[in-house]
Amino acid sequence: MTGLWYVLGFAGAGVSFVFLTIGLAWLISHRVRGSRGKQLPYESGIDTYGDTHGRFGLSFYLYALLFVAFDVEIVFIYIWALNFKVLLIDGLVSMAVFIGVLLIGLAYAWRKGVLSWR
Amino acid sequence: MSGAALVWARLTPAGRILAVLLPVLAVGGALTTALLIVFGGAIAATIGANLPIVRFLAASVITFLITVPTAFLLIYMEMKIIALMNLRIGPDRIGPAGAVMSIVHGLKVLMKEDYTPPSVDVPVFTLAPVVVYLASFMTVMVIPFAPELTSVGLELGLLYFFAIGGLGVVGLMMAGWSSFNKYSLLGGIRAAAQAISYEIPLTLSVVGIVILTGTLSLPKIVAAQSGSLLDWFIFRQPLAAIIFFIAITAEANRTPFDNTEADQEIVAGFATEYSGMRFGFFFFAEYVNVFIVSALFSAVFLGGSNAPLVLPFHPEIIINLGSLGIMLPILAGIAPVIGTLVCAAPIWFASSRIKTWQALVAGFLIFGGLSTAAIGFWAWAMIPALGNLIWFLIKTFSLVFVFVWMRGTLPRARIDQLMGFAWKWLLPASLLNIFATALAVLLTTSGGN
Repeated sequence: MTGLWYVLGFAGAGVSFVFLTIGLAWLISHRVRGSRGKQLPYESGIDTYGDTHGRFGLSFYLYALLFVAFDVEIVFIYIWALNFKVLLIDGLVSMAVFIGVLLIGLAYAWRKGVLSWR
Repeated sequence: MSGAALVWARLTPAGRILAVLLPVLAVGGALTTALLIVFGGAIAATIGANLPIVRFLAASVITFLITVPTAFLLIYMEMKIIALMNLRIGPDRIGPAGAVMSIVHGLKVLMKEDYTPPSVDVPVFTLAPVVVYLASFMTVMVIPFAPELTSVGLELGLLYFFAIGGLGVVGLMMAGWSSFNKYSLLGGIRAAAQAISYEIPLTLSVVGIVILTGTLSLPKIVAAQSGSLLDWFIFRQPLAAIIFFIAITAEANRTPFDNTEADQEIVAGFATEYSGMRFGFFFFAEYVNVFIVSALFSAVFLGGSNAPLVLPFHPEIIINLGSLGIMLPILAGIAPVIGTLVCAAPIWFASSRIKTWQALVAGFLIFGGLSTAAIGFWAWAMIPALGNLIWFLIKTFSLVFVFVWMRGTLPRARIDQLMGFAWKWLLPASLLNIFATALAVLLTTSGGN
């Protein structure tokens, strides 16, 4: 329970520090109105065109899907690792089966070319 | 115009700030002293009654204070060391060897214009640096600087570290998405892809250590390495150490994996549209990140606060200051004068070209150095936390040096190589490490029965 209070207190301290500093910077920094060019997004001096949040590379999405599968695996594997000295051979066999199924999935994705950047 | 107004008009801005601050500080100091004298007993009683709250406040303030000078020190290290590696001079103007340069950089960022472009999504744009900084700040909390100096020894410390540290990428993604800039979007997405890919080997590589120690608490993992040098997990789990080191390099967005902010490709990535202090917080968080991943590596693999070699003797120096009584303040007043004179005398006699004041200054410095060394040796011998802390910091800053060294040496990896390496090499290697460790533990346990 102490741990939770520490986490919440640290979060509060961090957030207040950031906002205090940004507020201080807002007080002492100088501001210039500038021209129209200042209001444009900086894209190396070329005027922006098209929709910024338009269509995007699919590779990122495939990696994210793989990540979800393996992240759920980590949730189980940590609990398994904590209790390994009790489970011993049973734990090893069941975890081998579990990881084996996931590895088949990884091999499938690899074979399908998900892991090579396109 | 009165005299005071004339003086005020001739002051520089810095002088005006001082002219206001100094009286305020003087009055405040006097008031505090008076309050302490009057209510001192009551305050001490309150502190004694609320020790957990006081401990929490002290821990949070100290943790917060650690991050600021650490970031400045790291920025200076990076500027100076990379400059020396490139055969440049580097910062040399402000302070001895340019040591104050990074603080001036921080002040410069504080005073720069904090511009919000009209096209951005303002709430998300403002919150992104907060999330990034918070993710690195909150992980400092579980770092075991020494057994006695851990702000909170969470039972799930390692998992907490990965969970909160992984939140930083949410902030980078927020920054990239809300900026409405194609470079920022690409930087944010790259950061997300890289972080989630390296998160898997990072978390899987330490599972071997969790199997060996049976705990996730960082102080207990450090305690498990307290034997000889060979008990350190870098020797018992070398493969895990290599995977972990590569993965933390990617998690901290350091060269050779700094594709998220690759200046030559996507300007500054997620930070392109940021300026002023909100930009400053991204880089503040990045340097704090370098420190905390180094600290985590030294805690998990390099024995944390354990000394690599144990001295064959343990000096015990017990000084009872109370027995001196009234002589103590007199000695404390006279000792520096006599010490300075004693140290200055040989210098003064050595050459007639040395002026008296130079000899006195040199004598004072020598005496100061000697007495600091003596007090430091006493503290090291009598306060174990100090020795532990020093070992921890030595290990951590050696790793920080390695990170800076890599930045001065290695070119940037291409994004396809980067992602492929995580999934095709690091992931199978970390699974192999887990099963090898599990098998070894199984064999040794059944052999023992």
